[in-house]
Amino acid sequence: MLRMTLAVLRKDMTLTLLRGSGLAQVLLLGLLLVFVFSLSQGVGESLSARNAAAVFWLSSAFCQVLIFNQLYALEEINNSRLGLLLCPAPIQAVWLGKAVAGIVLLLLAQCIFLPATIVFLGQNLVGPLKPALAILFLTDTGMCALGSLLGALAQGQTTRESLLSIVLFPLLAPLLLAGTGIGAQVFGSVDPDGPGAWLGLAAAFDAIFLGAGLLLFAFLYTGDE
Amino acid sequence: MPKYLSLPLILLLSGCLSLACCQYLIYFYAPAEATMGLIQKIFYIHLPLAWWSLFSFFLVFLGSVLYLLKRAPAADRLCAAAAETGVLLSGLALLTGMLWARKSWGVWWTWDPRLTTTLIMWFIYAGYLVLRGLNLPRQRKGLVCAVVGVVAFLDVPLVFVSARIWRSIHPAVLGAQDGGLEPEMKFTVTACAVAFGLFWAGLVWLRKCQLDLRARMCASAGAAPQNGHCRKTTPHPR
Repeated sequence: MLRMTLAVLRKDMTLTLLRGSGLAQVLLLGLLLVFVFSLSQGVGESLSARNAAAVFWLSSAFCQVLIFNQLYALEEINNSRLGLLLCPAPIQAVWLGKAVAGIVLLLLAQCIFLPATIVFLGQNLVGPLKPALAILFLTDTGMCALGSLLGALAQGQTTRESLLSIVLFPLLAPLLLAGTGIGAQVFGSVDPDGPGAWLGLAAAFDAIFLGAGLLLFAFLYTGDE
Repeated sequence: MPKYLSLPLILLLSGCLSLACCQYLIYFYAPAEATMGLIQKIFYIHLPLAWWSLFSFFLVFLGSVLYLLKRAPAADRLCAAAAETGVLLSGLALLTGMLWARKSWGVWWTWDPRLTTTLIMWFIYAGYLVLRGLNLPRQRKGLVCAVVGVVAFLDVPLVFVSARIWRSIHPAVLGAQDGGLEPEMKFTVTACAVAFGLFWAGLVWLRKCQLDLRARMCASAGAAPQNGHCRKTTPHPR
Protein backbone atom coordinates (compact mmCIF):
# COMPACT_ATOMS: atom_id res chain seq x y z
CA MET A 1 0.00 0.00 0.00
CA LEU A 2 2.85 2.38 0.84
CA ARG A 3 4.43 1.93 -2.58
CA MET A 4 1.12 2.72 -4.32
CA THR A 5 0.62 5.73 -2.00
CA LEU A 6 4.03 7.10 -2.94
CA ALA A 7 3.38 6.43 -6.63
CA VAL A 8 0.07 8.35 -6.50
CA LEU A 9 1.77 11.17 -4.56
CA ARG A 10 4.62 11.39 -7.07
CA LYS A 11 2.22 11.31 -10.05
CA ASP A 12 -0.07 13.99 -8.60
CA MET A 13 2.77 16.30 -7.57
CA THR A 14 4.46 15.97 -10.96
CA LEU A 15 1.24 16.59 -12.89
CA THR A 16 0.17 19.50 -10.68
CA LEU A 17 3.47 21.34 -10.36
CA LEU A 18 4.77 20.76 -13.89
CA ARG A 19 1.53 21.68 -15.66
CA GLY A 20 1.01 25.18 -17.02
CA SER A 21 -1.39 26.42 -14.35
CA GLY A 22 -0.03 24.40 -11.38
CA LEU A 23 -0.79 26.12 -8.11
CA ALA A 24 -1.39 29.54 -9.71
CA GLN A 25 -5.20 29.44 -9.46
CA VAL A 26 -5.05 28.27 -5.83
CA LEU A 27 -2.55 30.94 -4.80
CA LEU A 28 -4.40 33.72 -6.62
CA LEU A 29 -7.71 32.85 -4.94
CA GLY A 30 -6.12 32.77 -1.47
CA LEU A 31 -4.24 36.02 -1.96
CA LEU A 32 -7.36 37.67 -3.34
CA LEU A 33 -9.31 36.66 -0.23
CA VAL A 34 -6.64 38.10 2.08
CA PHE A 35 -6.56 41.30 0.02
CA VAL A 36 -10.37 41.67 -0.02
CA PHE A 37 -10.52 41.29 3.77
CA SER A 38 -7.75 43.88 4.13
CA LEU A 39 -10.13 46.42 2.55
CA SER A 40 -12.28 46.27 5.71
CA GLN A 41 -9.50 48.06 7.65
CA GLY A 42 -9.50 51.84 7.88
CA VAL A 43 -6.31 53.86 7.32
CA GLY A 44 -3.81 53.07 10.10
CA GLU A 45 -6.00 50.28 11.52
CA SER A 46 -5.23 46.59 11.59
CA LEU A 47 -7.53 43.59 11.85
CA SER A 48 -7.78 41.89 15.25
CA ALA A 49 -5.56 38.83 15.73
CA ARG A 50 -8.56 36.48 15.73
CA ASN A 51 -10.03 37.98 12.54
CA ALA A 52 -6.66 37.75 10.79
CA ALA A 53 -6.28 34.10 11.80
CA ALA A 54 -9.82 33.39 10.54
CA VAL A 55 -9.00 35.00 7.17
CA PHE A 56 -5.82 32.89 6.91
CA TRP A 57 -7.74 29.64 7.53
CA LEU A 58 -10.61 30.71 5.25
CA SER A 59 -8.12 31.22 2.42
CA SER A 60 -6.62 27.82 3.20
CA ALA A 61 -10.07 26.17 3.18
CA PHE A 62 -10.99 27.62 -0.22
CA CYS A 63 -7.62 26.56 -1.58
CA GLN A 64 -8.09 23.07 -0.26
CA VAL A 65 -11.35 22.75 -2.24
CA LEU A 66 -9.55 23.83 -5.42
CA ILE A 67 -6.59 21.55 -4.69
CA PHE A 68 -8.73 18.42 -4.29
CA ASN A 69 -10.87 19.26 -7.31
CA GLN A 70 -7.66 19.61 -9.27
CA LEU A 71 -6.18 16.38 -7.88
CA TYR A 72 -9.28 14.31 -8.65
CA ALA A 73 -9.76 16.01 -12.04
CA LEU A 74 -6.37 14.63 -13.15
CA GLU A 75 -7.88 11.16 -13.59
CA GLU A 76 -11.14 12.54 -15.00
CA ILE A 77 -9.37 14.55 -17.72
CA ASN A 78 -7.18 11.67 -18.74
CA ASN A 79 -9.95 9.10 -18.19
CA SER A 80 -7.56 7.02 -16.13
CA ARG A 81 -9.62 6.37 -13.00
CA LEU A 82 -10.22 2.79 -14.08
CA GLY A 83 -6.46 2.32 -14.35
CA LEU A 84 -6.03 3.33 -10.71
CA LEU A 85 -8.92 1.08 -9.69
CA LEU A 86 -7.35 -1.89 -11.46
CA CYS A 87 -3.97 -1.47 -9.71
CA PRO A 88 -3.15 -4.51 -7.55
CA ALA A 89 -3.10 -2.51 -4.31
CA PRO A 90 -5.69 -1.40 -1.74
CA ILE A 91 -7.79 1.46 -3.10
CA GLN A 92 -7.16 3.36 0.16
CA ALA A 93 -3.66 4.04 -1.21
CA VAL A 94 -5.25 6.44 -3.72
CA TRP A 95 -7.00 8.29 -0.86
CA LEU A 96 -3.79 8.44 1.18
CA GLY A 97 -1.62 9.45 -1.79
CA LYS A 98 -4.00 12.27 -2.72
CA ALA A 99 -4.31 13.36 0.93
CA VAL A 100 -0.50 13.61 1.27
CA ALA A 101 -0.27 15.46 -2.06
CA GLY A 102 -2.99 17.80 -0.77
CA ILE A 103 -1.04 18.46 2.46
CA VAL A 104 2.15 19.27 0.53
CA LEU A 105 0.32 21.61 -1.89
CA LEU A 106 -1.62 23.28 0.93
CA LEU A 107 1.58 23.85 2.93
CA LEU A 108 3.20 25.38 -0.17
CA ALA A 109 0.20 27.70 -0.58
CA GLN A 110 0.27 28.62 3.13
CA CYS A 111 3.95 29.62 2.78
CA ILE A 112 2.57 32.46 0.61
CA PHE A 113 -0.62 33.16 2.61
CA LEU A 114 1.14 33.62 5.96
CA PRO A 115 3.38 36.51 4.83
CA ALA A 116 0.38 37.96 2.95
CA THR A 117 -1.69 37.87 6.16
CA ILE A 118 1.13 39.55 8.10
CA VAL A 119 1.62 42.25 5.46
CA PHE A 120 -1.96 43.00 4.34
CA LEU A 121 -3.71 42.52 7.68
CA GLY A 122 -1.04 44.20 9.84
CA GLN A 123 -0.11 41.24 12.07
CA ASN A 124 3.04 40.17 13.92
CA LEU A 125 4.21 36.68 14.85
CA VAL A 126 4.56 37.15 18.60
CA GLY A 127 2.99 33.99 20.06
CA PRO A 128 4.53 30.58 20.81
CA LEU A 129 5.92 28.87 17.70
CA LYS A 130 5.66 25.18 18.70
CA PRO A 131 1.84 25.08 19.10
CA ALA A 132 1.58 27.14 15.90
CA LEU A 133 3.52 24.55 13.91
CA ALA A 134 1.63 21.72 15.61
CA ILE A 135 -1.80 23.20 14.78
CA LEU A 136 -0.69 23.96 11.22
CA PHE A 137 0.25 20.31 10.73
CA LEU A 138 -2.82 18.91 12.56
CA THR A 139 -5.30 21.20 10.81
CA ASP A 140 -3.80 20.57 7.37
CA THR A 141 -3.85 16.81 8.03
CA GLY A 142 -7.54 16.86 9.05
CA MET A 143 -8.53 19.13 6.17
CA CYS A 144 -6.75 16.92 3.65
CA ALA A 145 -8.02 13.63 5.13
CA LEU A 146 -11.60 14.85 4.75
CA GLY A 147 -10.89 16.70 1.49
CA SER A 148 -9.39 13.59 -0.07
CA LEU A 149 -12.40 11.50 1.00
CA LEU A 150 -15.04 13.95 -0.20
CA GLY A 151 -13.06 15.00 -3.28
CA ALA A 152 -13.95 11.60 -4.70
CA LEU A 153 -17.61 12.38 -4.04
CA ALA A 154 -17.73 15.20 -6.55
CA GLN A 155 -16.01 13.29 -9.36
CA GLY A 156 -17.75 13.73 -12.71
CA GLN A 157 -20.01 16.54 -11.45
CA THR A 158 -20.09 19.76 -13.46
CA THR A 159 -20.64 21.88 -10.35
CA ARG A 160 -18.05 20.06 -8.24
CA GLU A 161 -16.36 23.17 -6.77
CA SER A 162 -19.59 24.52 -5.27
CA LEU A 163 -20.79 21.04 -4.31
CA LEU A 164 -17.58 20.25 -2.46
CA SER A 165 -17.64 23.64 -0.68
CA ILE A 166 -21.23 23.13 0.48
CA VAL A 167 -20.51 19.69 1.92
CA LEU A 168 -16.98 20.27 3.19
CA PHE A 169 -17.05 23.68 4.89
CA PRO A 170 -19.57 22.90 7.65
CA LEU A 171 -17.78 19.62 8.36
CA LEU A 172 -14.48 21.48 8.74
CA ALA A 173 -15.95 23.94 11.27
CA PRO A 174 -14.29 22.38 14.40
CA LEU A 175 -10.91 22.28 12.69
CA LEU A 176 -11.20 25.86 11.43
CA LEU A 177 -12.16 27.01 14.94
CA ALA A 178 -9.10 25.21 16.36
CA GLY A 179 -6.84 26.76 13.70
CA THR A 180 -8.30 30.21 14.34
CA GLY A 181 -8.06 29.81 18.13
CA ILE A 182 -4.33 29.05 18.07
CA GLY A 183 -3.67 31.35 15.10
CA ALA A 184 -5.06 34.24 17.15
CA GLN A 185 -2.61 33.42 19.97
CA VAL A 186 0.27 33.35 17.48
CA PHE A 187 -0.76 36.81 16.22
CA GLY A 188 -0.71 38.15 19.79
CA SER A 189 -4.17 37.49 21.25
CA VAL A 190 -4.02 36.38 24.90
CA ASP A 191 -5.94 33.21 25.84
CA PRO A 192 -5.74 32.15 29.50
CA ASP A 193 -6.60 28.53 28.58
CA GLY A 194 -3.63 28.22 26.21
CA PRO A 195 -3.47 26.06 23.09
CA GLY A 196 -3.88 22.62 24.77
CA ALA A 197 -7.64 22.16 24.27
CA TRP A 198 -7.50 23.20 20.61
CA LEU A 199 -4.57 20.87 19.90
CA GLY A 200 -6.50 17.99 21.51
CA LEU A 201 -9.59 18.76 19.44
CA ALA A 202 -7.61 18.93 16.20
CA ALA A 203 -5.86 15.63 17.02
CA ALA A 204 -9.26 14.00 17.73
CA PHE A 205 -10.63 15.32 14.43
CA ASP A 206 -7.61 13.91 12.57
CA ALA A 207 -7.95 10.51 14.25
CA ILE A 208 -11.69 10.24 13.47
CA PHE A 209 -11.46 11.34 9.86
CA LEU A 210 -8.29 9.43 9.04
CA GLY A 211 -10.16 6.33 10.24
CA ALA A 212 -13.33 7.33 8.36
CA GLY A 213 -11.31 7.95 5.20
CA LEU A 214 -9.68 4.52 5.36
CA LEU A 215 -13.06 2.82 5.89
CA LEU A 216 -15.28 4.82 3.55
CA PHE A 217 -13.11 5.75 0.56
CA ALA A 218 -13.63 2.40 -1.17
CA PHE A 219 -17.39 3.10 -1.31
CA LEU A 220 -16.89 6.45 -3.07
CA TYR A 221 -14.04 5.80 -5.47
CA THR A 222 -15.55 3.34 -7.90
CA GLY A 223 -15.83 2.85 -11.63
CA ASP A 224 -19.37 4.31 -11.67
CA GLU A 225 -19.89 7.51 -13.65
CA MET B 1 -56.87 4.40 2.59
CA PRO B 2 -54.04 1.90 1.83
CA LYS B 3 -53.24 -0.37 4.80
CA TYR B 4 -49.53 0.51 4.98
CA LEU B 5 -50.37 4.19 5.41
CA SER B 6 -52.70 3.70 8.37
CA LEU B 7 -50.07 3.28 11.11
CA PRO B 8 -47.96 6.36 10.20
CA LEU B 9 -51.15 8.39 9.84
CA ILE B 10 -52.38 7.21 13.26
CA LEU B 11 -48.99 8.17 14.75
CA LEU B 12 -49.09 11.56 13.07
CA LEU B 13 -52.65 12.27 14.20
CA SER B 14 -51.98 11.11 17.77
CA GLY B 15 -48.89 13.34 17.74
CA CYS B 16 -51.02 16.32 16.63
CA LEU B 17 -53.64 15.59 19.30
CA SER B 18 -51.04 15.19 22.06
CA LEU B 19 -49.38 18.43 20.98
CA ALA B 20 -52.75 20.16 21.22
CA CYS B 21 -53.19 18.73 24.76
CA CYS B 22 -49.67 19.89 25.62
CA GLN B 23 -50.78 23.48 25.00
CA TYR B 24 -52.92 23.18 28.15
CA LEU B 25 -49.90 21.95 30.14
CA ILE B 26 -47.71 24.73 28.72
CA TYR B 27 -50.07 27.64 29.38
CA PHE B 28 -52.10 26.52 32.43
CA TYR B 29 -50.22 23.77 34.30
CA ALA B 30 -46.55 24.81 34.11
CA PRO B 31 -45.79 27.92 36.21
CA ALA B 32 -44.47 31.05 34.53
CA GLU B 33 -40.70 31.46 34.91
CA ALA B 34 -39.81 34.20 37.44
CA THR B 35 -37.44 36.33 35.34
CA MET B 36 -38.31 35.53 31.72
CA GLY B 37 -42.09 35.33 32.05
CA LEU B 38 -44.23 34.22 29.12
CA ILE B 39 -41.38 33.94 26.59
CA GLN B 40 -39.97 30.99 28.56
CA LYS B 41 -42.96 28.94 27.27
CA ILE B 42 -41.15 28.72 23.94
CA PHE B 43 -38.73 26.34 25.70
CA TYR B 44 -41.40 23.57 25.67
CA ILE B 45 -41.40 23.67 21.86
CA HIS B 46 -37.74 24.52 21.35
CA LEU B 47 -36.26 21.62 23.35
CA PRO B 48 -38.28 18.78 21.71
CA LEU B 49 -37.57 20.26 18.26
CA ALA B 50 -33.83 20.22 18.99
CA TRP B 51 -33.91 16.70 20.48
CA TRP B 52 -35.91 15.10 17.70
CA SER B 53 -33.87 16.82 15.00
CA LEU B 54 -30.75 15.31 16.56
CA PHE B 55 -32.48 11.94 16.66
CA SER B 56 -33.36 12.33 12.94
CA PHE B 57 -29.70 12.85 12.17
CA PHE B 58 -28.82 9.79 14.23
CA LEU B 59 -31.35 7.86 12.14
CA VAL B 60 -29.64 9.13 8.97
CA PHE B 61 -26.37 7.77 10.39
CA LEU B 62 -27.91 4.36 11.18
CA GLY B 63 -29.63 4.18 7.78
CA SER B 64 -26.38 5.15 6.04
CA VAL B 65 -24.42 2.42 7.82
CA LEU B 66 -27.15 -0.07 6.90
CA TYR B 67 -27.06 1.05 3.27
CA LEU B 68 -23.28 0.72 3.10
CA LEU B 69 -23.46 -2.80 4.58
CA LYS B 70 -26.55 -4.18 2.82
CA ARG B 71 -27.13 -1.80 -0.14
CA ALA B 72 -30.85 -1.84 0.73
CA PRO B 73 -32.71 0.91 -1.19
CA ALA B 74 -35.23 1.10 1.70
CA ALA B 75 -32.42 2.23 4.04
CA ASP B 76 -31.55 4.98 1.56
CA ARG B 77 -35.17 6.15 1.49
CA LEU B 78 -35.27 6.09 5.31
CA CYS B 79 -32.19 8.36 5.32
CA ALA B 80 -33.90 10.74 2.88
CA ALA B 81 -37.06 10.93 5.02
CA ALA B 82 -35.12 11.38 8.28
CA ALA B 83 -32.80 14.03 6.81
CA GLU B 84 -35.69 16.09 5.43
CA THR B 85 -37.50 15.93 8.77
CA GLY B 86 -34.29 16.69 10.68
CA VAL B 87 -33.51 19.77 8.59
CA LEU B 88 -37.09 21.01 9.07
CA LEU B 89 -37.06 20.44 12.84
CA SER B 90 -33.57 21.86 13.39
CA GLY B 91 -34.54 24.93 11.31
CA LEU B 92 -37.57 25.43 13.55
CA ALA B 93 -35.41 24.84 16.66
CA LEU B 94 -33.05 27.59 15.44
CA LEU B 95 -35.94 29.99 14.81
CA THR B 96 -37.54 29.39 18.21
CA GLY B 97 -34.10 29.61 19.84
CA MET B 98 -33.49 32.99 18.21
CA LEU B 99 -36.83 34.34 19.49
CA TRP B 100 -35.98 33.14 22.99
CA ALA B 101 -32.42 34.49 22.83
CA ARG B 102 -33.64 37.92 21.76
CA LYS B 103 -35.87 38.18 24.82
CA SER B 104 -33.64 36.54 27.43
CA TRP B 105 -30.11 37.52 26.29
CA GLY B 106 -30.97 40.65 24.26
CA VAL B 107 -29.44 39.27 21.03
CA TRP B 108 -30.84 37.29 18.11
CA TRP B 109 -27.78 35.08 17.92
CA THR B 110 -24.88 34.14 20.14
CA TRP B 111 -22.01 31.68 19.64
CA ASP B 112 -23.17 29.13 22.14
CA PRO B 113 -22.17 25.43 21.78
CA ARG B 114 -25.69 24.07 21.39
CA LEU B 115 -26.85 26.84 19.05
CA THR B 116 -23.67 26.60 17.00
CA THR B 117 -23.90 22.81 16.84
CA THR B 118 -27.52 23.01 15.68
CA LEU B 119 -26.68 25.63 13.04
CA ILE B 120 -23.68 23.70 11.71
CA MET B 121 -25.73 20.49 11.67
CA TRP B 122 -28.41 22.36 9.74
CA PHE B 123 -25.78 23.44 7.19
CA ILE B 124 -24.33 19.92 6.94
CA TYR B 125 -27.68 18.22 6.41
CA ALA B 126 -28.94 20.97 4.09
CA GLY B 127 -25.82 20.18 2.00
CA TYR B 128 -26.75 16.50 2.30
CA LEU B 129 -30.20 17.30 0.87
CA VAL B 130 -28.52 19.20 -2.00
CA LEU B 131 -26.55 16.01 -2.68
CA ARG B 132 -29.77 14.01 -2.68
CA GLY B 133 -31.16 16.34 -5.35
CA LEU B 134 -28.25 15.69 -7.73
CA ASN B 135 -28.85 14.05 -11.05
CA LEU B 136 -26.91 10.85 -10.33
CA PRO B 137 -27.63 7.17 -10.94
CA ARG B 138 -29.65 5.77 -8.00
CA GLN B 139 -26.97 3.44 -6.65
CA ARG B 140 -24.17 6.01 -6.95
CA LYS B 141 -26.32 8.63 -5.24
CA GLY B 142 -27.19 6.18 -2.46
CA LEU B 143 -23.50 5.44 -1.82
CA VAL B 144 -22.42 9.09 -1.89
CA CYS B 145 -25.24 10.11 0.47
CA ALA B 146 -24.54 7.20 2.81
CA VAL B 147 -20.87 8.18 3.12
CA VAL B 148 -21.81 11.81 3.81
CA GLY B 149 -24.48 10.62 6.28
CA VAL B 150 -21.83 8.73 8.28
CA VAL B 151 -19.20 11.48 8.09
CA ALA B 152 -21.73 14.17 9.07
CA PHE B 153 -22.76 12.38 12.26
CA LEU B 154 -19.13 11.70 13.24
CA ASP B 155 -18.60 15.47 13.10
CA VAL B 156 -21.40 16.36 15.54
CA PRO B 157 -19.52 15.78 18.86
CA LEU B 158 -16.46 17.61 17.50
CA VAL B 159 -18.59 20.60 16.53
CA PHE B 160 -20.13 20.65 20.02
CA VAL B 161 -16.76 20.46 21.81
CA SER B 162 -15.20 23.11 19.55
CA ALA B 163 -18.10 25.52 20.13
CA ARG B 164 -17.83 24.92 23.91
CA ILE B 165 -14.12 25.78 23.90
CA TRP B 166 -14.95 28.88 21.82
CA ARG B 167 -17.49 30.27 24.37
CA SER B 168 -20.79 29.36 26.07
CA ILE B 169 -23.77 31.08 27.78
CA HIS B 170 -26.51 28.44 27.28
CA PRO B 171 -28.44 27.47 30.45
CA ALA B 172 -27.99 23.84 31.58
CA VAL B 173 -31.65 23.39 32.50
CA LEU B 174 -31.90 19.63 32.80
CA GLY B 175 -28.46 18.74 34.12
CA ALA B 176 -28.37 21.49 36.75
CA GLN B 177 -28.13 20.32 40.37
CA ASP B 178 -29.53 23.52 41.91
CA GLY B 179 -32.07 25.84 40.37
CA GLY B 180 -32.98 23.53 37.45
CA LEU B 181 -36.63 23.02 36.44
CA GLU B 182 -39.70 22.94 38.71
CA PRO B 183 -41.40 19.48 38.79
CA GLU B 184 -44.40 20.87 36.82
CA MET B 185 -42.05 22.28 34.22
CA LYS B 186 -40.18 18.96 34.00
CA PHE B 187 -43.45 17.08 33.52
CA THR B 188 -44.60 19.53 30.82
CA VAL B 189 -41.34 19.38 28.88
CA THR B 190 -41.36 15.55 29.07
CA ALA B 191 -44.96 15.44 27.80
CA CYS B 192 -44.06 17.83 24.97
CA ALA B 193 -41.03 15.71 24.05
CA VAL B 194 -43.17 12.53 23.92
CA ALA B 195 -45.88 14.29 21.87
CA PHE B 196 -43.26 15.62 19.47
CA GLY B 197 -41.80 12.10 19.31
CA LEU B 198 -45.14 10.69 18.10
CA PHE B 199 -45.49 13.52 15.58
CA TRP B 200 -41.88 13.03 14.41
CA ALA B 201 -42.25 9.25 14.03
CA GLY B 202 -45.45 9.70 12.02
CA LEU B 203 -43.86 12.35 9.80
CA VAL B 204 -40.71 10.30 9.05
CA TRP B 205 -42.71 7.13 8.46
CA LEU B 206 -45.24 8.87 6.20
CA ARG B 207 -42.47 10.47 4.14
CA LYS B 208 -40.70 7.09 3.90
CA CYS B 209 -43.99 5.50 2.67
CA GLN B 210 -44.31 8.27 0.09
CA LEU B 211 -40.76 7.62 -1.17
CA ASP B 212 -41.43 3.84 -1.20
CA LEU B 213 -44.54 4.41 -3.29
CA ARG B 214 -42.65 6.57 -5.74
CA ALA B 215 -39.93 3.94 -6.07
CA ARG B 216 -42.55 1.22 -6.68
CA MET B 217 -44.37 3.38 -9.21
CA CYS B 218 -41.14 4.09 -11.06
CA ALA B 219 -40.12 0.43 -10.94
CA SER B 220 -43.46 -0.64 -12.43
CA ALA B 221 -42.99 1.93 -15.21
CA GLY B 222 -39.45 0.61 -15.84
CA ALA B 223 -37.89 3.90 -14.75
CA ALA B 224 -35.64 5.13 -11.94
CA PRO B 225 -36.86 7.63 -9.31
CA GLN B 226 -35.07 10.95 -9.87
CA ASN B 227 -35.77 14.20 -8.00
CA GLY B 228 -39.50 13.78 -7.63
CA HIS B 229 -40.20 12.13 -10.97
CA CYS B 230 -39.41 8.89 -12.79
CA ARG B 231 -36.56 8.91 -15.27
CA LYS B 232 -36.70 6.34 -18.06
CA THR B 233 -33.62 4.12 -17.97
CA THR B 234 -32.04 3.45 -21.34
CA PRO B 235 -30.41 0.07 -21.89
CA HIS B 236 -26.61 0.07 -22.15
CA PRO B 237 -25.35 -0.07 -25.76
CA ARG B 238 -23.56 -3.34 -26.38
